[in-house]
Amino acid sequence: MKSAADLQTVVEMTRSIPCAPAILPKLLKLAEGSSSDLGEMEMLINLDTGLATDVLRTANSAYFASNQRCENISDAILRLGSKVLYRIAASTLTGRWLVHPVRGYGWEPGDLCRHSLCVAICAETFATKMQLADASTAYTAGLIHDLGKFALAYANFSALDDITNRVPDEFATWREAEKVILGFESTQVTKALLENWGFPSTFVSVGQYYQTPSECPEAERKIVTLIHAAKHVATQIGYGVGVDGFYYEPDEAALKEAGFKEEEMDAAIPEILSTIQRYISPSGEIRFT
Amino acid sequence: MASTFNPVANQMPTIIVGVADYKISTEPSTFLVTHALGSCLGVTFHDSRRRIGGMLHAMLPSATLHEGQKIREAMFLDTGIPRLLAALIRAGSKKGDIRCKVFGGAQLMATDNFFRIGSKNIDMFYRLSHEMELDVVSWEVSGRVNRTIRLNNQTGDVIVKIPSKPEFIR
Repeated sequence: MKSAADLQTVVEMTRSIPCAPAILPKLLKLAEGSSSDLGEMEMLINLDTGLATDVLRTANSAYFASNQRCENISDAILRLGSKVLYRIAASTLTGRWLVHPVRGYGWEPGDLCRHSLCVAICAETFATKMQLADASTAYTAGLIHDLGKFALAYANFSALDDITNRVPDEFATWREAEKVILGFESTQVTKALLENWGFPSTFVSVGQYYQTPSECPEAERKIVTLIHAAKHVATQIGYGVGVDGFYYEPDEAALKEAGFKEEEMDAAIPEILSTIQRYISPSGEIRFT
Repeated sequence: MASTFNPVANQMPTIIVGVADYKISTEPSTFLVTHALGSCLGVTFHDSRRRIGGMLHAMLPSATLHEGQKIREAMFLDTGIPRLLAALIRAGSKKGDIRCKVFGGAQLMATDNFFRIGSKNIDMFYRLSHEMELDVVSWEVSGRVNRTIRLNNQTGDVIVKIPSKPEFIR
């Protein structure tokens, strides 16, 4: 398979995967809105039994619980607030999709989910420290940044094995190999998926440009560079990194322009790791809430 | 060397070492395993005479960046390695009987200013191994691969797993 038509095939195939995070953009919009949207948020959450269960469990967890138990989603929304609620929804919905067993990239089950969660946590940490983007937006952007690779693996392209076998002897980078062997890049698949699901343009830009932030239009370059930096830090940390992980070029010009400094990034790693270890056990088990 | 299926070894209990953690075992029929080293270093110590083994999964080279802060010693090579060695000696091992192996330190594509944890970790390990006079018998470091390692405490062999590649022993 080696044409633009194949890109469309990959996107179409992912329509049949259950639990796509397609309701996330709606929830994001509601989370940014006024309290009058809470009724609609409740309705959306109630549509998804698994998500509703996670929300109630978190609202009644030791961290959030008060004397009174939350018995319904409406109470849980009031207790958690829309930002926390959105974070739970983003993690639950995206995570459920990403843990779907797929073959490709040398992943063990759950690897893409583990790696994406690490990117999300790195992005959230740097967003807060450097004030480059809203922390919740950065977290979500980290979760969804590589959905195109999931779609490619789900489509079970034999061409992925071809790429694995030919990098690095014939191609220095994974992107280069994708362009020649597939005829398109995984970032194009991510972009198409996010556009199909109605994600805001910020997320579409992240999916499209996170490997090459200097090419991103200026309006969204900061958050795209943030995800670029988060991706590389998460790769160094190692959780869920596949066979492709170390074959991407850092974009030094964009990193410098955004104000990143190596020593500050390295110094943030202990804090990032502590957060990651709240969600990923030493054996690799993922717990979102 | 390719790994071969060994039904006895496959039933041995496994102790998992997380990131920024270390563990030892005095039980010969045990595996010590750590997943996905990335740019971190996985350091194994093994005393084949007493069948005492230990493993460290350190993320960063030096704790000096964090002076004055509460740190996890196993997070850093310069605090984690002395700690692991001391634990083995407390468990009855003798330094002269301990063989060391080191894994990980994967590196991103070349940059002058960013994401150099892998090479910094390898440099620091090299320095520490000389200063501490460690008997390092195997180096499986650098490159662009994410390694998972499993120490067989019976034999001191370390089984290395890399995505999309067959396991091998060091």
